[in-house]
Amino acid sequence: MTRGPRGGLPAVALRVGSALEKHGIRGVLTGGACASLYTGGAYHSVDVDIILSGAVSQPELDAAMASIGFGRRRDRYVHPGLPFFVEFPRGPLAIGADHDIRPVRYRRGRSRMLVLSATDACRDRLAAFYHWNDRQSLGNAVRIAARHRVRMSAIRRWSSAEAALVRFEEFRLELDRLRTRRARPARSRVAPRRSTS
Amino acid sequence: MVVTTNSSPFGNVTRTRVLLALGLLEDSYARELARVLDLPLSGVQRALQSLERDRLVAARSVGRTRLYRLDPGYFAHADLGRYVTRLLEAESDLRRRVASLRQRPRRTGKPL
Repeated sequence: MTRGPRGGLPAVALRVGSALEKHGIRGVLTGGACASLYTGGAYHSVDVDIILSGAVSQPELDAAMASIGFGRRRDRYVHPGLPFFVEFPRGPLAIGADHDIRPVRYRRGRSRMLVLSATDACRDRLAAFYHWNDRQSLGNAVRIAARHRVRMSAIRRWSSAEAALVRFEEFRLELDRLRTRRARPARSRVAPRRSTS
Repeated sequence: MVVTTNSSPFGNVTRTRVLLALGLLEDSYARELARVLDLPLSGVQRALQSLERDRLVAARSVGRTRLYRLDPGYFAHADLGRYVTRLLEAESDLRRRVASLRQRPRRTGKPL
């Protein structure tokens, strides 16, 4: 019997990535799972989206996923012991109109996987905010940018190309607010009594 | 070459016509598309699902309705929009059908 992946979504994504690599399949983790990775679990996703590059046949993919206990149900892979499912959305790997995406290698222990960089994971969330007015994605983009070094000039340039500079400014404002809140010294929960005299 | 309603540059006639209708309507749902295109609902639903898998369209839920549109996050969204607009130039019947749909608001309770 194959031993399935254990743990939270990042651990599962890494096991999937390693299994794909072992089978010679190149895939990049994107979407909510990537956001979960970069927000330290502040955002919970139940699906692992991986964009494949190159030609991969269905039997090859089935075999790679079966090696870690995932079975195919329609166009997604499920594991009997896990609440997450894995999908392989059709490519190309792109964020908005930008398809020149350079993934980075994420490692934990012996597992490794290609994932979006922090800057690209941030842009990926912003794309949902820009195009769908999804404010949950704005919150996650802010969390990613607050926890990781992201290239703001690149994000601004891309936002301009997406005709979303106004929303980019909103993102920057939210990021500043979060940083200010974090920088402020913690205040006592009990407000000091005012003198009534 | 004259592009007619029977041309199918997006795989089959239903997929193509659904894309063209979405190009005009911007946001729509399966039943409305089936009505406008005069196609069976099941066929339109299948076409929407396959277009969604190809990431040409995306949907969000509004109550119990799935509203579809050309996916603004698709990397070639702008080019797709231009192509659809060009194809629509030859689709006078479809444009007329869509133009007959009421899209403007109507106060609640006012008779139709």
